[in-house]
Amino acid sequence: MTGPYDGTGRKVDSLAELARSIEPERDLWPTIEASLGRVEAAAPAASDANLIPPRRRRARLTWLAAAAMLASVAVGVWIGRSVLPDVGVPAGVGAATDATTFDAAYVNDPRYQRERAALLRSLPARLEALPPPARAKVLASLATIRKAKQDLESALGKDPGNALLQELLVDTYQDEMRALTDVREASDAGRGV
Amino acid sequence: MRRACGMAVSLLALCASRMALARDDWTFDKTVAASARGVVDISNVAGSIEVSGWDRQEVSVHAVLGGEVERVDVSSEGGRTLVKVVLPSHTRGHGEAELHVQVPRESEVDVSAVSADIRLSGVLGVERLNAVSGDVTAELGNADVEAKTVSGELRLKGHGSAARLHISSVSGDVRLEHGAGDFEGSTVSGTLGVTLDSAGSIRARSTSGDVRLEAKLARGATVEATSVSGDVNVRASAEDGFSYEASSFSGDISDCFDVKAERAGQYMPGSRLQGTRGAGAGHVRIKTMSGDVQLCDRN
Repeated sequence: MTGPYDGTGRKVDSLAELARSIEPERDLWPTIEASLGRVEAAAPAASDANLIPPRRRRARLTWLAAAAMLASVAVGVWIGRSVLPDVGVPAGVGAATDATTFDAAYVNDPRYQRERAALLRSLPARLEALPPPARAKVLASLATIRKAKQDLESALGKDPGNALLQELLVDTYQDEMRALTDVREASDAGRGV
Repeated sequence: MRRACGMAVSLLALCASRMALARDDWTFDKTVAASARGVVDISNVAGSIEVSGWDRQEVSVHAVLGGEVERVDVSSEGGRTLVKVVLPSHTRGHGEAELHVQVPRESEVDVSAVSADIRLSGVLGVERLNAVSGDVTAELGNADVEAKTVSGELRLKGHGSAARLHISSVSGDVRLEHGAGDFEGSTVSGTLGVTLDSAGSIRARSTSGDVRLEAKLARGATVEATSVSGDVNVRASAEDGFSYEASSFSGDISDCFDVKAERAGQYMPGSRLQGTRGAGAGHVRIKTMSGDVQLCDRN
């Protein structure tokens, strides 16, 4: 059995005889610093976040959430305004194509929004180019689509997680785009013929 | 008195000159050489367009034209023949023309109209038919068909030759008989009535119009029929059977094989019907919000 010895090989009889600290044989700090540098370079954001005290981190997250909420509201307002042209829309067109309350929440793809807004802006002129009976039928169909969207949204209000309703609502948005595109193509054909 | 008489004479002369300017109906005939499998592009705003296939390598045009029609352009170059009724710019599309065009049977035809009705028969090539408020009546050939109207009706009749059929209308009714192949059809408020002698895939969609599908399904065929508020009635027969799932939020679901629809969930509105007929090689999916659903596994 081996007895208790200190760092120099001398036998000790009590804890008090042990050295208070043991110095390493060489300076280890440069190696540690180099290792830390490699880790920071690989994940600077993560190391930054770890350096922030928890209280400050919570405050930062709160501000980020508030900013995200404000941005969402701003995007919603922008979509509402840009999608609903308020000038030069003949009677019936606005009512048939108004954005509904779920528009901003459901269809937030910027490209879709741009194309839909452009189609709606040109709709009054496109309708003017159609023969009057066709114009009346198209307006009735757009009103049908709007009613379908409202009905689906109303049902989704009661059952927000219903996959069937969500799917049908997306289908109806697609139908609206198809109808608007068909009207554009039809009026273009009328001009070209 | 003399002054009043003068004014009356001037007025009469003006009316007479206006009447002289408005021509009576007139006719136009022209025949040009064309490729046996070329493209024939036909357009007319109002009146009618009748296209039929024949065995000659010529495109023949006979037209009865209203007084307001300026001319008919007919030209053929590089396998493409163009037939176009031209109106003066001030008419705002009111000049009518009755156009009768005969094309080589295997031509690809591209017909555009605003309020003119389109009738097509005896053509075997690809058909592209577009009208705004005019009705489209066509006999399908052996090739793909794309037919589209805004408010006009679409009435198509095939011979069971497989092709890709793409048909849509905003408010017009769509009726297809004896189609085959892959079908995709949609309407917002019109009725969609389709019979397919042999189907590989079917996609039918309406917003408020009813959907009625009758089809013999090929092995592994897929059917998807949806409507928001219209009723959907699918009668599909398949030798190798099909799996099915039908769901509706507030409509009724029924079938002809005595399987009862279930509630979508204990605390959820809506009902659902699912199962398998035969070997279940195909797949049928139906969904509505408030429309009723009927499914049957025999035609």
